[in-house]
Amino acid sequence: MATPLLERLNTQAKLAVFAVQERALLTWNAVRFIGVRPFYPADIVQQMDAIGVDSLFIVVLTGFFTGMVLALQSSASLASFGETAIIGRLVTGSMIRELGPVLAGLMVAGRVGSGIAAEIGSMRVTEQIDALNTLGTDPIKKLVTPRLIAALVMLPVLTVINDAVGIIGGNVISTLYVGVPSSIYWRTVWDQIAGDGFTWRFVPNDFIQGLAKPFVFGGIIAVTACYHGLNTTGGTEGVGQSTTRTVVVASISILIVDYFMTQLLLGVLNPR
Amino acid sequence: MSDTEDEASPEDQAFAGRVRAAIRDELAADKALAKKARSPTPTTRRPTPTGMTSSARRSSTPANVTPVIELDRVTLSFDRPVLEDVTLEIYPGETMVIVGESGTGKSTALKLILRLLVPDDGRVLIKGRDIVGLSFDEALQVRQQMGMVFQGSALFDSMSVFENVAYPLREHTTMSDEEIDARVREKLQFVDLIPDEIMTLLPAELSGGMKKRVGIARGLANNPEIMLYDEPTSGLDPLTTGTITRLIMKMQRELGVTSVVVSHDIRSANRMGTHIAVLAEHRIVFCGTPEEMAASEDRYIQDFLGGL
Repeated sequence: MATPLLERLNTQAKLAVFAVQERALLTWNAVRFIGVRPFYPADIVQQMDAIGVDSLFIVVLTGFFTGMVLALQSSASLASFGETAIIGRLVTGSMIRELGPVLAGLMVAGRVGSGIAAEIGSMRVTEQIDALNTLGTDPIKKLVTPRLIAALVMLPVLTVINDAVGIIGGNVISTLYVGVPSSIYWRTVWDQIAGDGFTWRFVPNDFIQGLAKPFVFGGIIAVTACYHGLNTTGGTEGVGQSTTRTVVVASISILIVDYFMTQLLLGVLNPR
Repeated sequence: MSDTEDEASPEDQAFAGRVRAAIRDELAADKALAKKARSPTPTTRRPTPTGMTSSARRSSTPANVTPVIELDRVTLSFDRPVLEDVTLEIYPGETMVIVGESGTGKSTALKLILRLLVPDDGRVLIKGRDIVGLSFDEALQVRQQMGMVFQGSALFDSMSVFENVAYPLREHTTMSDEEIDARVREKLQFVDLIPDEIMTLLPAELSGGMKKRVGIARGLANNPEIMLYDEPTSGLDPLTTGTITRLIMKMQRELGVTSVVVSHDIRSANRMGTHIAVLAEHRIVFCGTPEEMAASEDRYIQDFLGGL
């Protein structure tokens, strides 16, 4: 009884290791091709539009409501200490360090990651990937590298917008609902940004954290989506499965990597 | 050949030269063969496990001509055997149709020629060069000599007809926009499409037969020496099937392209093929001309032909 179970576990473990290896290889090749001709600038711009511009609305919406809810929740907790004045500090710290990158990452994973997996998966099942190969084009160079570059650039941009809109949302609630004047709110916002110190004298440490994370998350989303898309089998049903897997794997990866990056960056930027 | 060749680029002229040389070689080889007056009976074997120890070989081969494509004792298996000890030689200007029942490894043979797959054993030679050991980048270069037409056409959804046909030119040549435009128009006309009516359309706006013809035009864009077709008439109505079959014959007749066609449509195979290879149970059980196939007394071949 135990043997078949062990064999199955063994097979599953091997498949998991193989998948990690394949993903690492895909990432390496996609990065390697960034500097190899031919370049596909039109594809990169098109992907930046699809990943960045088309995601702007949901990111702004998410950021605004997250900022507002953060202000609401913080005000309730801070009121018991009589410290509602520092509400801006809490909203800013939470948005820039954590919620901005993670929420932008999760939103883009859901919207763009699924789209990339579906597009490349459809290309796989309709033999378009084979067609690229037979026409002498490396599908990784043509499809994965432009998406990776676009995600690496656009996710930090989206995160900055998400952070800014979130902080503005916090301002709206703190002014209209909690009763903290705007001038105090924005002063505490700056206190938070400046309070954690600077790297190279003028780059706030919070910004380093807030931009390093979405850069990595962008890579995770692009590679996960392309990997599942390229490995799609089983026709249209397989495309659906690839899409679902992409969203699940990318979202979980973002949350796990976020924890380890936070621990690493706090250790590097704020050594105790 | 055609009006467009009058204003052909050096690349076109070189291609035409290669084609003429190949046809000359083929004619010379045919004469030599006629002198030898070999037995017309091809080698055939029953597709039964006990009856097949190795692949059937074609009864006649052109003398002193290197095959454009050669599978030499190729064996490939995944979870189960796909091809076993398959030997196949295709000479310049020939149209070899590989027929057989579903799941016998026909499309796999094409993937081996394209080096999308590598055999477990044996060699795959393109113009005398073994491509099995090539690196990924070298394989991409070899593929540029070939045009491939897929079963479902595999046109790029996001690109117009023009961009699809122009794709290999933009990727692998330094042709100007005007030259690319002229070449795309030439190839679309060759496959009996009207460029001005179709070039701006997306693949989703085309019928099955039109998609197939655009796929052929894309395969031809780079003036390849070898054309590969995976089930070119599958899923088409009888009239469109006839059109595609005639196109493949026209390509052989006018361009002298060496073609490999994978098909289960024996009627079209008889029309378009200069040679037919029958795959059964992972081996080639017959290889010869359509006439030799019709004259074959082998039971399996007769059953196969009778299944029309």
